[in-house]
Amino acid sequence: MTANEILDMLYGTLHTTGIYNFQWNIVVMWCVGLLFIYLAIAKKYEPLLLLPIGFGIFIVNFPLVPLMGYSHGHAQLLQVFYHYGLEWEVIPCIIFLGLGAMTDFGPLIANPKTLLIGAGAQLGVFITFTGTVLVGFTLKEAASVSIIGGADGPTTIYLTQHLAPQLLGPNALAAYSYMALVPLIQPPIIRLFTNDKERKIRMRQLRPVSGQEKILFPLIASGIIALLVPAVIPLMGMFMLGNLMKESGVVGRLTESAQGSLMNIVTIFLGISVGATMHADKFLSWKPLFIFSLGLLDFGVCTMGGIMTAKIMNLFLKEKINPIIGAAGVSAVPMAARVSQMVGMKYDKTNHLLMHAVGPNLAGVIGSAAAAGMFIAMFD
Amino acid sequence: MKKLTTLFLLLLCLYPLSAGAEDFLGAPVIGEGQEIIKTDARLELKTTLSHDQVIALYREALKGFKDIKFREWEDATYIEDDGNLKWHSITISKGDEKGTTVTIVKDNWTWIIGTLILRYIGVFVVLMILFLGMSVSGKIISSIVRKMETEKAGS
Repeated sequence: MTANEILDMLYGTLHTTGIYNFQWNIVVMWCVGLLFIYLAIAKKYEPLLLLPIGFGIFIVNFPLVPLMGYSHGHAQLLQVFYHYGLEWEVIPCIIFLGLGAMTDFGPLIANPKTLLIGAGAQLGVFITFTGTVLVGFTLKEAASVSIIGGADGPTTIYLTQHLAPQLLGPNALAAYSYMALVPLIQPPIIRLFTNDKERKIRMRQLRPVSGQEKILFPLIASGIIALLVPAVIPLMGMFMLGNLMKESGVVGRLTESAQGSLMNIVTIFLGISVGATMHADKFLSWKPLFIFSLGLLDFGVCTMGGIMTAKIMNLFLKEKINPIIGAAGVSAVPMAARVSQMVGMKYDKTNHLLMHAVGPNLAGVIGSAAAAGMFIAMFD
Repeated sequence: MKKLTTLFLLLLCLYPLSAGAEDFLGAPVIGEGQEIIKTDARLELKTTLSHDQVIALYREALKGFKDIKFREWEDATYIEDDGNLKWHSITISKGDEKGTTVTIVKDNWTWIIGTLILRYIGVFVVLMILFLGMSVSGKIISSIVRKMETEKAGS
């Protein structure tokens, strides 16, 4: 073998390594991925999602890795997860099944007027839409970005995949990041829009809800949603099925699987697939950065919308609502409800708002799904 | 040099065709149509072509645009742009024996804000109906449960 042949062979081998195909922009993406892994491990911010998302970002941003493309006409590993899980919109719906199986709608059934807070908290979604169009996003992209303020991860993914799949990575990441930051974002907004007297409002203890009511709720809710916003019935139908399984008490094994192992399995696939969509070539542009900054504003306006709705309702109600629970209308279950409890207790240590805040919190899930349905209907 | 000059002049003459001289805010316009109304934001014109012929022309002209959708209404076909184009919609009338009216409307904030407000109200309506449904069913079930409990206590 001649020296030239050996050099040729070495050169050929070098071509098949990542080193030869190295580009500097992928280093930025490693940093982004590692930052999310750090936030998940060290800060415990939404670790169940940020950890696999962070790893997904990290691993796909190596040159020549056979993960998100096609080899000999066959989809590569993460492409398979992405295609069947997200492109087919399966994962968000299964996550909603699990969430339904974990949810107790009792506080919402006991105080159904808090549903309106969930609607009011969608204000940011519609305001952000306008801002996003102004800077040059298409209408479909604007709709998918604005739903971030609803603070509902699966709904954000579902809508984005439907309208603007190219923004799936940044939108999902922004949604889950801000959901993790609820305890930091919401308290100052609550303080800004409420006064001392309002924060100390005590709410009457919720009435006990019978088992029959709890069984009937998912049927009524899915029927009404199917009639009015059929576009989101894949999400809400699964949500209500999960809840019916739980409340019926006759399919314990199924409920346990839905809220446990099934939920955990799809969470792994969801996280890694979302992370895998964030390749440097797509992510390093002004749009994802803009989505991140606007998402914060969106979230803030949604929180304000919930608080202001509660305050407006107080003008007409005999029994006043503590407007702090309005902040829980942004969904982000159960974190936003816990934040309401925490802020309320700062001003009156004996005022427990948690159960009252769960109502608007669940209403926020339904409200953001309704908003997503409105957008899908607008473009389909 | 002569050949080059001839070619240049020929290209100059043909340029308006390739640059889409027949357009309104970037939306293709049927050349032989007769203008009825023309403002900065709206162009309405009448053509002798049939509805199907106009639709075929627009389908061809808008083939490359991915954010365009065609909606069939009872009295018109409505073409809407959900992207970033300068025009918002093209309405092509149906069923007029004397010809077809084509209306092109500029992208406008009134439409965007209007549809957003409507949809925001729509979210309230959905949750309000759910609220009513829950309140009614809650009252009915509570009274039934109370009745059953009273009967149980009585026996």
